Amino acid sequence: MIGILKSMATTMKHALDGSTFTVEYPETAPDVSPRFRGVHKFSQERCIWCRQCENVCPNDTIQIVMDDQRNGEQYNLHIGQCIYCRLCEEVCPVDAILLTENFEFTGDTKHDLVYNKEQLKAVPWYKDIDPLESREPDRGAWIGEGEGEVDYQ
Amino acid sequence: MSTGLERQGREVTEDDLEALIGDRALGRDDHLNAPGFVIRPDDVQDVLFDLRDEAGFDHLSCLTAQQYEDRYESIYHMKKYADPTQEVSVVVPTSIDDPVSQSAEPVFRTADWHEREAFDLVGIDYEGHPDPRRILLPETWQGHPLSKDYDQEQPQVVTLSEHANPIQPDHHDQESDTMFLNIGPHHPATHGVLHLETVLDGETVVDVDPDVGYLHRCEEQMCQSGTYRHQIMPYPDRWDYVSAGLLNEWAYARVAEDLADIEVPEYAQVIRTMGAELCRIASHMLALATFALDVYGDFTAVFQYGMRDREVVQDILEDLTGQRLMFNYFRLGGVAWDLPEPRGEFLEKTRDFLDGLPAKVDEYHDLLTGNEIFQVRTHDTGVLEPEVAKSYGCTGPVARASGVDYDLRRDDPYGYYENLEWDVVTRQGCDNYARVLCRMEEVEESAKIIEQCVDLLEDWPEDDREIQANVPRTLKPDPDTEVYRAVEGAKGELGIYIRSDGTDKPGRFKIRSPCFHNLSALGEMSEGEYVPDLIASLGSLDIVLGEVDR
Amino acid sequence: MIEGTPLQAGDTVLLPERIGDLTGLDQFGLAGELLATFLAAFLVGNLMLAMTGVAGPWAKRKITAAFTDRIAVNRLGPAGLFIIVADAVRLLSKELIVPENADRPAYDLAPIVVASSALLGFAVIPMGSGIHLADPEVGLVFTFAVAGIASVGLVMAGYSSANKYSLLGGLRAVAQNVAYEIPLIVTGMSVVIFTGTLQMSEIVAVQNEPLVDLGLVAIPQWFAIVNPFAFVLFLVANFAEVGRNPFDTPEAPTEIVAGYQTEYSSVYFVLIYLGEFLHIFLGGAIIATIFLGGPAGPGPEAIGIVWFLVKIWGVFLLTQWLRSAVPRVRIDQLIEIGWKGLLVLSFANLVLTAVIVGLIA
Repeated sequence: MIGILKSMATTMKHALDGSTFTVEYPETAPDVSPRFRGVHKFSQERCIWCRQCENVCPNDTIQIVMDDQRNGEQYNLHIGQCIYCRLCEEVCPVDAILLTENFEFTGDTKHDLVYNKEQLKAVPWYKDIDPLESREPDRGAWIGEGEGEVDYQ
Repeated sequence: MSTGLERQGREVTEDDLEALIGDRALGRDDHLNAPGFVIRPDDVQDVLFDLRDEAGFDHLSCLTAQQYEDRYESIYHMKKYADPTQEVSVVVPTSIDDPVSQSAEPVFRTADWHEREAFDLVGIDYEGHPDPRRILLPETWQGHPLSKDYDQEQPQVVTLSEHANPIQPDHHDQESDTMFLNIGPHHPATHGVLHLETVLDGETVVDVDPDVGYLHRCEEQMCQSGTYRHQIMPYPDRWDYVSAGLLNEWAYARVAEDLADIEVPEYAQVIRTMGAELCRIASHMLALATFALDVYGDFTAVFQYGMRDREVVQDILEDLTGQRLMFNYFRLGGVAWDLPEPRGEFLEKTRDFLDGLPAKVDEYHDLLTGNEIFQVRTHDTGVLEPEVAKSYGCTGPVARASGVDYDLRRDDPYGYYENLEWDVVTRQGCDNYARVLCRMEEVEESAKIIEQCVDLLEDWPEDDREIQANVPRTLKPDPDTEVYRAVEGAKGELGIYIRSDGTDKPGRFKIRSPCFHNLSALGEMSEGEYVPDLIASLGSLDIVLGEVDR
Repeated sequence: MIEGTPLQAGDTVLLPERIGDLTGLDQFGLAGELLATFLAAFLVGNLMLAMTGVAGPWAKRKITAAFTDRIAVNRLGPAGLFIIVADAVRLLSKELIVPENADRPAYDLAPIVVASSALLGFAVIPMGSGIHLADPEVGLVFTFAVAGIASVGLVMAGYSSANKYSLLGGLRAVAQNVAYEIPLIVTGMSVVIFTGTLQMSEIVAVQNEPLVDLGLVAIPQWFAIVNPFAFVLFLVANFAEVGRNPFDTPEAPTEIVAGYQTEYSSVYFVLIYLGEFLHIFLGGAIIATIFLGGPAGPGPEAIGIVWFLVKIWGVFLLTQWLRSAVPRVRIDQLIEIGWKGLLVLSFANLVLTAVIVGLIA
C-alpha cells in the first residue's frame, strides 16, 4: 500500500511542478547538434568528378553521369534512400558534397526525393551552421593534409 | 570488478580436445578465435554431447551455415559460460548433392532455431530436427537465398491455396477446449512486428510459438556485398535500432580488426567505451519504459519519464556522433571524430547527466519497483531457470537475471573495460522482476564506467589524442581466414562470424543476435501462465525485432 | 437516530415539476407532465453528455499530459478546448466498419446499451440546485440496477464482434463485474443501515445533519467521515466496477488489444467511449451522493450543482491519477482480490456500520 501511495505521490509531484519536456514544434525547434547529418548540399563548382562518393556509398544512393570526355553531366542523389552515413562527405577530397543539418524535407511521392545537382545546390543551410567547421573532418587518409580555408558558399 | 578467478573452469587445452574427439575428427579447420575440428555429419550429437559434458563447453554461441563450391558447411561455435575465451569450433561438412547433417537440438535447445535458419537461408537439412520449418522467410519461399545456385531473379510464386487465411479452419480443438489466438503481427505489445501463435486454455497459455521474420532485411547478405573498410559499418546500427548502435558497431569493429590485425589507439578505445555505455543506458531506459508500458497498459508516467531521461543520453550521443540512432561513428582502427569542441562543455554535459542519474533511478524505484501491484505482477512470472537459459543460449541481462554470471566485457575483455572499476550485475530471481532490477542496476554500472571514461578523456595528454590508426584504404584479408568474435551488446552477446575470400568483401558474414536466442526461450518462460504474464515476459526479454530477424 | 430525523418525503420539488411550473405545461394534464419530464431528462442527459465531451477528448489528455510532463492539446482555441469539436467531427465522420461475422442486432445494440444504462442512473441522483429528475423510494437500488445493465452491453459487444480479443474482453468484464458488484452493493447497504432509507434525497438529507458541532464549523455527518473504511472499500469496488486502473483488465490494451471494443469504430466507438466516461461519472455521482453529502457544501444552496460537479470531477481526477501511477493487476489476481478480499471486508464493514449506528443512536 505504501508503495502504491509513493508511486502516486511521485506522479502528482510531476503534475504539480508544471514543467514539461516536450516542445511545440515547429514554433520551437529542438537544438540540432553541429555534427548532425541532414540533407546533402552539392557544389558543381568544386566537384572534380572523381566518383569516389559514388563508389563509397553503401547503398548506391549517388548516381553520377559523365560524358565520354569525363566531364560531369548529372549528379543525382536520392535523399529518401540515403542512410545518412556521411561517407560521401568523408571521402570527398574537395568538400564538394557535404551534409547540412537540415532535416526538414518532404515530398509527395518518393520520386520527389530524387534530387539532381541543382536541387542539391539549393538545399539551405540549417540555421546558418557551417557543418565543416564543427566536424573538423580528418581527411589525412584520403588527400594528406587539408587545404586550409574552405569557402563553400 | 570481479576477476573471474573464483570461477573454476578447467582450462581445456587443444590436446585435451584432440583426445576427446579422437577418431571422430576428420581433420582440423582452425579459426582465428578457436581450434576447429572437422567431423562427420552423423557424429554431431555425439561430439557435442562430449564437448558439453566432458569438456564443459556449455554455450552453443552460434551456428554458421555456408556453401562452398564443393560442399556445405555447418559450424558450431562453442564456448563456456564460465570462461568465454575458451572456444572450439565444430565444423560439419556435408555434400553438395545431399546436404544432410545430424541435428544438435537434443544437446542444445538453441540449435532448434539456428538449424531452422540454416535450412531456410542456406539449405542444409538437419536430420532429427523436431520442427524442420523455415523460420525467417515465408513457408512458400522457393529456394535458399544464401546458397550458391540461388536465382535472385526468380519470382516467388505463392499459390492461392497457400495464400489462404491460416486461421480459416479455426484451430478450435473440440476435445481439449483450447483456443488458438494470434497475438500479432499487429498488436500493441509485440514491440515491433512479431507474431505469437498462442494456444490458450481459458486465459492460460498452453503453447506459444513465436513466428519471426517479418522484419528480415537480408542484413547478412548486405554486409557480404559491402567492403570491409567503410561500407559495412553503417549497417550494424540498423540491427538493434533502438539506440544500441555503437554497441553493435563495436561487434563489427572488433571482428574486422581481429581479421585484418588492426591496432586501435588507446584514446579511441576510451571514446568507444564511453559511447558504448551511453548507448547501453539509452537502450536499458527504453527497455524499462516499454516494460512499464506492458504492465501498466498505457503510455503512462513511467514510459514518458523513461523517454525523457533517455532523451538526454540521445542528445549527448548526437553531439558526439552526429546522429541520434544511426550513428556510424566507429571506423576500423578507431572512431570518426574526436570529442566535439568545446570539449569541456561536452564533458560537462555528460557529467551533469551522470550527476542527475541517481535521483532519477530513485524516482523509478519509487514509481515502479516499489509499487506493490507491480511486484505482484512481476514476481515469479516468466521464470527462466539458469540451466534452461544456458541451453537456449540466453545472454545479457536476461541470463544475468537468472544468475548466469556471464558478461563479455569482463570475461572476454575488449576496449578499455579491463582498466576500469565496475561490477557485473547478477540476480538470482530468474523472474520478470529480477530482469527489471538487473537492467536498472546495469544502468548504474554503466554510469560508473562513463564517469571514469570522462575523467580519463579530460586528462588525456594533448599530443596523444589519436582517434584512428593508420588503416589501408582497401582491406583484403588473406583468403579463407575465419573468425568469430562477440561483444556484449545491449541485449546480450552480439557475435559476428566472417570468412574472407581474398576480396575486399566478406565471403560469409553471419550475425549472432542475442535477441534471437532470448526470444526462443519465451515459450519455456510463459507456458502455463496467463496471457498478461506472457506479455510481461515478452517485454522483459527486451527484444528488438530488427535484430531478431536481421 | 432515525427517529431524530424528520423524514420529509415528498417535500423536495423535482425538476420536471419545476419545469412544468415555469413553462405552464402542468395545465395540460398528463401530456404536459410528460413533456415537462422529457424536457427535464433532456437537460440532465445533455449536461452529462457535455461533461463527458469535455472529459474525453480534452480533460483526459490535459490531465495525462500534466502527469507525464507534456503539453498536450493547445492549438485549437483557448487551451485547446476546440479540440472537442474537432474530435467530434473526426470520430463521427470515420468509416463504420462492421466485421463480416458480427452478430448484427447484438453488435449494434451493445454500444447503445452501454451508453444508455449509465445515463439512466443519473435519473435519481440529486444534483443540487433543484436538479433532480425523480426521487423514487428505491433510488439507490435503481442506480445500482441500471448501472449493472452495462455488463450486459459489454457481453453483447464481446461475443457479437466475432473476435477472440473481444470475447476475452467480454468474459473478463463479466467476471469482474460479478465479482465487484456484490462488495459494491453490500458496502452501499451499510449506508442504508446508517440512513434507514433507500431514497436518494433522504440519504443526502441525513448526511447533512451535523456530526460534531464545533461552534463556528459544523462537521456534517457525511458517510465518508463517519466510516472512512466503507468509503475506501466503495471507491475500490467502484473502480473495478467501471473498469479503471488498476482494474482495467476488460480493455487491457497491451494484452487483449482493446477487449470488447476492439471491433468498434466510428459512431459505435464514440458511444462505447461515452458510455465508459458516463460510467465513471455515474460512479462519481453515486459516491458523491451516498458518501460525500451530494450537492452539499459551503455557500448558498443554489450553487449545490457546483459542489456536486466538483465532487464527481474529483473522482474522475482520481481515476486519471491512478492511471498514471498504478499498474494493472492480472485477471486472476483481480478476481482473487474481489472474492477473497473485498467481499469479506464489505461484510465486515456491514457489521461495523451496524455497531457504529447503534453507538450513535
